Amino acid sequence: MAGKPYRVPKGLARERLIDRLRPLRFSFDGKSMSGFHGDTLASALLANGRRLMGRSFKYHRPRSAVGIGAEEMNALVGVGDGARHEPNLRATQVEIYDGLTAVSQNRWPNLDFDLGGLSNEFSRLFPAGFYYKTFMWPQSLWKGLYEPLIRRAAGLGRAARERDPDTYEHIHVHCDVLVAGGGIAGLAAANAAAASGKRVILADENASFGGSCDLSGETIEGLPPSDWVEERVRALKAAENVHVLNRTTVAGHFHHNHVLMVERVGDHDPGLLAKGAPRQRLWKVRAQTLIMATGAIERPISFANNDRPGIMLATAVRGYIDRYGVAPGEECVIFTNNDNAYLTAIALKSSGVKVRPIVDVRARAESAIIDQARGAGIEIVNGAVVSGVETSRGGASIDAVKISPYRSGKGRIVSETRVACDFLAVSGGFNPAVHLWCHNGGKIRFDDRLYSFVPDRHDAAIRAVGAANGKMDSATCVEEGYAAGQATAKASKTKKSKVHGKAAAGQQSEAPLEPIWFVPATGKYNEGNKHFVDFQNDVTAADLELAQREGYESVELTKRYTTLGMATDQGKTSNVNGLGILAEATGLSIPEIGYTTFRPPYTPITFGTVAGPNRGPLFLPVRQTAIFDWHVEHGADFEPVGLWRRPYCYPKGSEDRASAVRREILTVRNRVGLLDASTLGKIEIKGPDAGEFLDRIYTNMFSTLAIGRARYGLMLNELGFLIDDGVTVRLGEDHFLMHTTSGGADRIAAWLEEWLQTEWMTLKVFVTPVTEQWAQFAVAGPDARKVMQKLDGDMDFSAEAFPFMSMKQGTLASYPVRVYRISFSGELSFEVATPANFGRGLWDAIIEAGREFGLDVYGTEALHILRAEKGFIVIGDETDGTVTPHDVGLSWAVSKKKRDFLGKRSLSQPYLAAHGRKQLVGLYTEDPQEVLPDGAHAVERVEPKPPMRTIGHVTSSYFSPTLNRSIAMALIDNGLKRMGETLEFPLEKGIVKAKVVDPVFFDKEGARQNG
Amino acid sequence: MAERRFHSALQHRADRAGAKGLSIALKEMDDRGVIDVRGLPTDAGFLPAVKDVLGFDLPMDPRTSRSRGEISALWLSTDQWLIILPRETAPDFHARLVKSLAGIHSLVVDVSDARAIVRLEGDTVRETMNKGTSADFTDSGMKAGTVRRLLYAQVAALAHVVSTDPDVIDLYVFRSYADHAWSFLLATAREGARVKLFGKQG
Repeated sequence: MAGKPYRVPKGLARERLIDRLRPLRFSFDGKSMSGFHGDTLASALLANGRRLMGRSFKYHRPRSAVGIGAEEMNALVGVGDGARHEPNLRATQVEIYDGLTAVSQNRWPNLDFDLGGLSNEFSRLFPAGFYYKTFMWPQSLWKGLYEPLIRRAAGLGRAARERDPDTYEHIHVHCDVLVAGGGIAGLAAANAAAASGKRVILADENASFGGSCDLSGETIEGLPPSDWVEERVRALKAAENVHVLNRTTVAGHFHHNHVLMVERVGDHDPGLLAKGAPRQRLWKVRAQTLIMATGAIERPISFANNDRPGIMLATAVRGYIDRYGVAPGEECVIFTNNDNAYLTAIALKSSGVKVRPIVDVRARAESAIIDQARGAGIEIVNGAVVSGVETSRGGASIDAVKISPYRSGKGRIVSETRVACDFLAVSGGFNPAVHLWCHNGGKIRFDDRLYSFVPDRHDAAIRAVGAANGKMDSATCVEEGYAAGQATAKASKTKKSKVHGKAAAGQQSEAPLEPIWFVPATGKYNEGNKHFVDFQNDVTAADLELAQREGYESVELTKRYTTLGMATDQGKTSNVNGLGILAEATGLSIPEIGYTTFRPPYTPITFGTVAGPNRGPLFLPVRQTAIFDWHVEHGADFEPVGLWRRPYCYPKGSEDRASAVRREILTVRNRVGLLDASTLGKIEIKGPDAGEFLDRIYTNMFSTLAIGRARYGLMLNELGFLIDDGVTVRLGEDHFLMHTTSGGADRIAAWLEEWLQTEWMTLKVFVTPVTEQWAQFAVAGPDARKVMQKLDGDMDFSAEAFPFMSMKQGTLASYPVRVYRISFSGELSFEVATPANFGRGLWDAIIEAGREFGLDVYGTEALHILRAEKGFIVIGDETDGTVTPHDVGLSWAVSKKKRDFLGKRSLSQPYLAAHGRKQLVGLYTEDPQEVLPDGAHAVERVEPKPPMRTIGHVTSSYFSPTLNRSIAMALIDNGLKRMGETLEFPLEKGIVKAKVVDPVFFDKEGARQNG
Repeated sequence: MAERRFHSALQHRADRAGAKGLSIALKEMDDRGVIDVRGLPTDAGFLPAVKDVLGFDLPMDPRTSRSRGEISALWLSTDQWLIILPRETAPDFHARLVKSLAGIHSLVVDVSDARAIVRLEGDTVRETMNKGTSADFTDSGMKAGTVRRLLYAQVAALAHVVSTDPDVIDLYVFRSYADHAWSFLLATAREGARVKLFGKQG
């Protein structure tokens, strides 16, 4: 067929959307083709005589475009090369540009000759539920064989494998009125709402506005539809309170009128992308009122082989002619149950396309438009149906249709007449596009005039207008639009609208439609004839009937068994037809059958748009300390700690992680190390009741702490379990500085505020988190004091003047500092804090001062091993939310004198006070080189195979360079009573034995830190 | 005595004084000092003691601020304010305020280094803000002086509408998130991604 002039001669059609002066080249499946600016891929392909656009999902049947917009279910194509390839786009919505490349999908080796099409030959073997029934057994073959095979055979396009080079973004917008759909009802609503001064957003999925009014054959307020639309759009764009968006799909409606919209900013023009435009933008709109003006979708009719390329919706055929000057063929038969398709016949005729008869289901139908068609000399056959098509080229080409007499409910038809034609325009009536209405729980009701569902109740501030509300004539659409727009202004006191008067659209009376859900096939028994209902999912009328016979009677079960109305299409053209067939099969009415849910998005959204800017380095915020750049420059090997990135270690030269950590630990134990501890949580606490407050928060006493002194504290929740630990310093009589764990900084600040604000309102205490104000470093090791003294400062660092667990404020190397003699390494240690913007300067000064003492930096892994050697716990390692201070050997930090503290009562509960709970112990493996894995379980007795009764698990485990052997801590049943016992840890590689020892492995007396 | 070295939160970003190809102007305001003040307006002495040092009354209405000359006071909650002032005057101001509030239940902390402040200036700063936060910056209620705490680009932030003609917004984020927020701003303020909401459209 290629080569025939499918673009009708200039002048015969209006060609509203294309510009013949701007020809374009594009390619489809590698073949170069021409089109015009304004064409969609579908219109351009049809103009090139290319009807075959894809293969169907399950049976690999040849398919072409059926529709002209979002409703398209067949012509799914892949667009773009390489990293920019996007699959599953509706060819009817892809605007072509010079150089566009597109490919067909779901075919191999190519579209015209597809091996997968064999599945159609055997399609009797693939009814609904086929996969469920067939591939149940043996289960072992599912993962390796069946699933990959099915996935390869059934499917859509493939995603790009490369990283997407384009950018995407999100934007949040609030408005008074959001109008979804820029057809005449939407434009009228937006105009009326805007006139009242409301902030209005109007969004339409297409490049141009007006919806399908251009195909209505009516006038609007005395103007041709396109002129009316142009005038309204111009007025809206000129208004200061309106934002008009084209190429923007209103994709989903959620609670509180939160609406998601996808704007295709640069898809139609690579030049925009080159200038830095995002490819798509996701709009997150909060609308006071949502006006749904989403129009209606024409439905096909189920007859034998109704999916053949060349069978199209009647409005779509009219649209291709009128908008793009494209005739899908040369000779057309029209099959309808309503008046609207007569417009298509007239449009085709006036564009020079031969119209074979209009086959009208209705035995009698009279109206002005029917008269007009008759007057134009178009033959009309009433009380008849198209019962099948004759095709050639493997179904890809239509040669003729079979026309049979029809009476609703009269059963099988035998007689048929053959009429030659090369395409067929079908109309089974119109379904209001109620998807948006249903996304967030809106109810719909069956309208027995339209034989379709229309919006009913909704709890959100949403109104449906126009065709989406079941109003199919222009006058009513415009009228409803105005009324809805004005209604949004009612509540406001803004200036009165200069209302556009009552709509005066040129109206035509229509003859009523006659519903038809299924056309029986003629000829010999309908072998090989499929009556498609859901084209995209290859669901046939027979599948729906089978589901009923097999007991999937509920419409929800039928949907899941057959896949009717699922996936990307969401039943746009199939939903009501499917219900009609179910109604006929069950003898119930459609309202009795019920309906399934339409889910967002209306049309698919790319993952790039969902991710927006939050990808790559922006995927998750990375918190950086003031020393971050130094760490990077010095080869730090980072690890995530919450959102922070902290140096795990600093490998030098060819060092691996383990050797770097070992070197860093020995530096601290033998000389002096420097750690960036800025992430430590810091909270200032002040007020006359601050001491009392801390006494309640911590298990131990703080009100007695001397000014300038520090104390380690434990925090429990009300259940008696450890939630945080750290050192708190008394800065003044009523002023403390609390240190929390790095991970606990925000959580504990909120915890303190909660107790002050909700329980202890009478306590006069303020808490202010200051974590980010300070850079803080640990200078730790036998030579730490020498480094501190070397730095130019105004403090006395001698052991006498600056004892363990005390603090001083002063100046160090010209920087204002707070210095704390606290230690998490067990070494002589000074923690130095300076305002963050001085952090880097002081850090450099410390490194400089430490050079002669062999000072070097250490990371978080060395920090953890150093503390483990000392038996210090880490919240989250040794604790898991079920551990008390007594369990981890910290009973000394639990006050017996205090009247109360958080968790006190729980600690005396029998279960927590019981003997023999899991208790923290140290472990020495029998082989000192063997390091137990974290989390390894000790068992009471090793059995040949699981289950074995476990008695506890390893909480921390390392190789200690200081002791030159492995060390571990573990929570073990009745652990304190097991000192000296040997425990067995069955691991995959064999049984590891370890002796229970004191968890303080090194410097038990604390001579080093106290020195 | 060695010279003090100062490193602002965004000092490592070569573009912190202004990047090319943006629809708005962005710059780090590293010359601002910040004092966090907490106290109870119901305490008889508190507000006058603050005013003695500040020179004007603290703002008492939610989401507002007051400014005089180089000093601004931002309302954070019913008992918390941020005083924004020239950085070099912050230590002295802090000391004077602590002294003035002696004996009155209060907590005054110099947090000049705890946050990074980025100034956004230009025609589409409001739209740029709305690419990172759901708070409505195009609302007419967002007038000069408005202070909003936000989630911006997944990060806790504060926005201060400094002026509306021209549109100037100071965005405060905690120091450790500065690099992330700056990168997010550069990504979303690109000229090619400019959005102007509710205006005349061509």
